[in-house]
Amino acid sequence: MSTHTIDDTSPSKVSESEWAVETHGLTKRFGDNVAVNDVELLVPRGCAFGYLGPNGAGKTTLIRVLLGLTRADAGTMSLLGISVPRHRDRALARVGAIVDEPRFHGHLSGRQNLEILAAARERDARGRIDSSLERVGMAQRANDRVSKYSMGMRQRLGVAACLLGDPQLLVLDEPMNGLDPAGMHEMRDMILSLVAEGRTVMLSSHLLDEVQRTCDAVAIVDSGKVIRQGPITELLAGAAMEVHVDCSSPDRALSILAATAFGEKIDVETTGLSIHLPSGTGKDAIAEINRLLVEEGIAVYRLEEMQVSLESWFLQVTSRLGENV
Amino acid sequence: MTSVASSPAPATAEGSNPVARDNRGSWIPNGAMIRTRIMELRKRRGLMAAMIVVNVGVPTIFLLVRIIAHIVAPKSYGPAGGYDIFSNLVVGIMYFFGFIVAATLGCTAGSVDLTDGMFRHLVITGRSRLALYLARIPAGLALIVPLVAAGFTVVCAVCVFAAPTKIDYQGVPVPHGLSATGFNHWAESHPKEVLCGLPYNGPIGVQVPCYVNGQGKVIIPRGTPGFGHISPTTLKAEALSVAEQNYTAYSKLFLYPSVPLMIRTGLWIELEATIGFIVGLGLASLMGQRTVPVVLMIVLEVILTPVFSRTAIPHLINAQRGLVGLAMAHLEPSALPRGIGGGGGGGPGGPSLVPESLTVGICVIVAWLVGWTALGAWRMLKRDA
Repeated sequence: MSTHTIDDTSPSKVSESEWAVETHGLTKRFGDNVAVNDVELLVPRGCAFGYLGPNGAGKTTLIRVLLGLTRADAGTMSLLGISVPRHRDRALARVGAIVDEPRFHGHLSGRQNLEILAAARERDARGRIDSSLERVGMAQRANDRVSKYSMGMRQRLGVAACLLGDPQLLVLDEPMNGLDPAGMHEMRDMILSLVAEGRTVMLSSHLLDEVQRTCDAVAIVDSGKVIRQGPITELLAGAAMEVHVDCSSPDRALSILAATAFGEKIDVETTGLSIHLPSGTGKDAIAEINRLLVEEGIAVYRLEEMQVSLESWFLQVTSRLGENV
Repeated sequence: MTSVASSPAPATAEGSNPVARDNRGSWIPNGAMIRTRIMELRKRRGLMAAMIVVNVGVPTIFLLVRIIAHIVAPKSYGPAGGYDIFSNLVVGIMYFFGFIVAATLGCTAGSVDLTDGMFRHLVITGRSRLALYLARIPAGLALIVPLVAAGFTVVCAVCVFAAPTKIDYQGVPVPHGLSATGFNHWAESHPKEVLCGLPYNGPIGVQVPCYVNGQGKVIIPRGTPGFGHISPTTLKAEALSVAEQNYTAYSKLFLYPSVPLMIRTGLWIELEATIGFIVGLGLASLMGQRTVPVVLMIVLEVILTPVFSRTAIPHLINAQRGLVGLAMAHLEPSALPRGIGGGGGGGPGGPSLVPESLTVGICVIVAWLVGWTALGAWRMLKRDA
């Protein structure tokens, strides 16, 4: 991992940084509780990055620290190559974020709320109100009072607020909350389109399936610490493998494989076997299983390496099997 | 830790620096922030309705009823305007309730971003938290100051243009603006009204049981001798004695408020409303909520200020002098009577105030304005969003 100079003085330095978010030793305590524990996080530019963790793992706290909503107790951090909180005004100028449930002035319309937020940004922000509302599908309801909005509509308005600053980095905390399936689909498409424009989207979510569909890379946080991070494909490649075998005699196949290195965990099914192989097992193992069975006269109809889902991998690495995540 | 290969930097707005254009780190709020803050407060219909009712509606309706009553039955109902109406409306309603409404507006402005969840969105824009706080001050004052001015203008207009033609002095109608000599001449020509209506401290040679009724007529009870047996010369001499003792009090009465008095009074109630707003804003920002600060502001105005402005406690007198309501009472135009709250220090007849010099009073007011602004801003800077 390359190290980067966080301190910055010139705008040109902003474009030199390859990380949209970079933290080193970031720590935040609430009394004796360490919500964010020595976090080393690198979010590459131009990708959708998932930030995953069980309830109470410190996901939202880390986002709050990054955005200057609360102070860190230790560590350094930068957004788009600009150190925060030292230069938070410059760093946040190109950052949009939703943290927790998006809430607004209920007595004002969605457009009026955006006008308030645009006024706090640069002059051009006001001119982006209509396009932002259009992009999140809220143009028709923009003049209704926010108090009449559903949760999903407030989520969309929150994303519209993020877009006012023409952000290079969007930090979205549970953006799928309150959205119906169609809304989730639209949100996913929007995130992908934002990434396609060269923006970085950092997504915190419990919906692992959505994250897997949307994000290129993830970080897993547990008990305040980042325990894994990297591209999803690389992370899952290192996960435990499961091979499904359709064969003529599952019971005989089980007795043959039980005497080999593949026999640690095998489930017998009506049409075949499910063989669980430890992480790091290569694809040669599949060929070896096939050879062993065929040599013993068992007809092998199908061999399939089952795709490990992000969810099952998440449960493996966080040791939270059985808990509601 | 596994590092992730990064993609090329995005093309969108790369290298542009919006902060350089909008001076986002500055503590000075921009015009758009103030305008949108005004809009946010103005759209609070309940609060705005209360502000309009108290500052404009109540005085207007009160004066309107008086005008109609006077037109319908002029003998039963006196003129709608005049100095007495002016002073009572200003001190009794506009000063007292104007403070409470302004404080409520301040408490609202100081807390709604937090309670509505907008504070977080605003902080994420990168805008200076101090600028976010300071934008509320001109925005709130832009609402409260014109409203107070509008209500006060209505009161002034009615009190001047619908003023009585004669001064009602102790129930006796007396021409306005008489000099001491003129007042004496008037007394000599109206000895019965003077002897029956005006107060006199000392021995009097004429002993006639009489009084002046509500319409300014002398009433002598039946069976009493009346003034018939007293010579005109004696009557004039006695009336002159009474008049000489009453001229000082008479000279302080006006048909309607003078222009300088109206200007001083207007500035005084505007200052009171400003104090209410600024203190409410700071207190609500400090506490992060609206209800309790509003209650505390009402307690300050309704209980603490009247009690500690009028009752000197020797060991606490310097602390009492730190009360902003007492300072405001000492700044009150001297021609006004004393009010319910802190106001009304200069008028005749009221209980005395805890003594305080004008300089100390001004310092106290400035300290309250600056102190509460600093406290509110400090909390805004340190608060978790």
